[in-house]
Amino acid sequence: MSTPAIDIDGLTKTYGRDRGIENVSLRVDEGEIFGFIGPNGAGKSTTIRVLLNLLFPSGGSARIMGMDVARESKRIKNLTGYVPSDACPYTSMETDEFLRYCSRYYPQVSDQGRIEELMQLFEVDHNRKISDLSTGNRKKISIIQSLLHDPKLLIVDEPTTGLDPLMQARFFELLRAENKRGMTVFFSSHTLSDVQMLCKRVAIIREGRIIKVEEIETLRKRQLKKIHVEFGDKKDNDLSALPGIEKMTIISDRSMAFIYSGEVDRLISELKDRKVNDITIEEPSLEEIFMHYYN
Amino acid sequence: MNRNLFSREFRSNGLSLLIWTLVITALIMATMSLYGVFLENNSKILAMVSILPEGALQFKGISNVDDLFSVLGFYSANNVIYMLVLGSIYAIVLSSGILLKEEYNKTAEYLLAWPLTRSEVFFSKALVVYLNILIINVITTGAGYLTLEIFKKEPYSVDAFFILSFYTFLLHIFFVSLGLFMSVLVKKPRPITTMGIGLVLILYFVFTISNITESLSWIGYVSPYKFLSLDVLDPKYSIEWISLLYFIGLSLLLVFSAQRLYRRKDIYL
Repeated sequence: MSTPAIDIDGLTKTYGRDRGIENVSLRVDEGEIFGFIGPNGAGKSTTIRVLLNLLFPSGGSARIMGMDVARESKRIKNLTGYVPSDACPYTSMETDEFLRYCSRYYPQVSDQGRIEELMQLFEVDHNRKISDLSTGNRKKISIIQSLLHDPKLLIVDEPTTGLDPLMQARFFELLRAENKRGMTVFFSSHTLSDVQMLCKRVAIIREGRIIKVEEIETLRKRQLKKIHVEFGDKKDNDLSALPGIEKMTIISDRSMAFIYSGEVDRLISELKDRKVNDITIEEPSLEEIFMHYYN
Repeated sequence: MNRNLFSREFRSNGLSLLIWTLVITALIMATMSLYGVFLENNSKILAMVSILPEGALQFKGISNVDDLFSVLGFYSANNVIYMLVLGSIYAIVLSSGILLKEEYNKTAEYLLAWPLTRSEVFFSKALVVYLNILIINVITTGAGYLTLEIFKKEPYSVDAFFILSFYTFLLHIFFVSLGLFMSVLVKKPRPITTMGIGLVLILYFVFTISNITESLSWIGYVSPYKFLSLDVLDPKYSIEWISLLYFIGLSLLLVFSAQRLYRRKDIYL
């Protein structure tokens, strides 16, 4: 069994009395594109900052490519690229100057060809002051600096914020290509559709705890169903005794829609003695599945 | 130490070094150019000084008004404000911001994700501050020496001048180390410039109060200014070992404690 790209075991980070993350455990295999989703403030950035040794864990451990994130941080960072959630803040520098400056931190980057290649791909202007760039263009600079040294692991935190759809597509295409060449991607986002497009597996974090680590396909195929029922008589519309009903929307006194996580047999037997005019059972969208875990 | 980080930091702080050096040099030169006029009006000066409250001269580090009429005494009295206070403010402002600015400018998330150890970051930045302090001290000392040579009316002790300049440098090194130490204790990413300036002024004020008020002379030992010897006209004026030990020992203690704390510091953004 190969060494995992990321191996987090019981990781906890508290900020005094405030919650950070609690007992987070997950494993990202080498060569995987792994999604990390959760609402704002769920603990995604805290987890990433512990991985990058900006924060020290209060408990548990984290290893990247078999190396301890606190003790072997420099070696890890030589093999890791990072796109922070904030767009490039080096506003006093020019685009080329900043990227050359970043590249000098990596001994393996010997020529400037990679900078030129990535600048062309993302259509970044040469010698433009970073302060004059839009958020999207500053985000592109952040992305480019993370890829200059051909990292084995790329950690991205909300990378698509500010990028236009064309650039998002180009970025995803690049990630897929780099992944084929062996790069592992840890993709943190609160936008499920981004994760869905790229990742094979996903961890859902909420209030500092991992609530699910699942394959995207399995998530989609879970027992959750989206049900719409139209009763023939309004006295039949009470389904409160049925367990597994969530997100109930009353459309009228005879019609309702809900997400159902129970057994379909049980639902059918519950409905068989009532007058049902119409029923539809659909696969819920991934967004709806996601919200199911959140709530 | 990382050369890439060091050279970027050095360049990015170049303008402020230039401005502070020019301002302090200009103040020294402008004030020393008044020495001749000061001497010509010595009776008026003495009359004016006589109406000042007792202790007012102490604020400029002068224990005897006659000292003001020697070129080195005149230089020293002005040096107190320009170099011992203004220079120390520069030292603490620069040192307290050099690590913290990465946090409040949100560049720490980039810098600390590049392959650097915390110690490399700390020492690269600390070295920039110490180098800036060395440069400002060399230039202002040079300017001070030049003005003394130009405006002197009688010989003065060049050795005493260089000893005073060395004390000034030691004080600045102390404030650099204190600024670095303070900055690693700050949890929320925000500038502590005002706190740094306030601390220099308070420590100077404490020193002055301790000189004026005999019953409070003990309080002066809280302030590093108490460990400076400013009596440049004393024929026995020299570097005191206790002062040397105090400034170098305390500076080393502060800077290495700061480095150890920074190695384990949580970076909040």
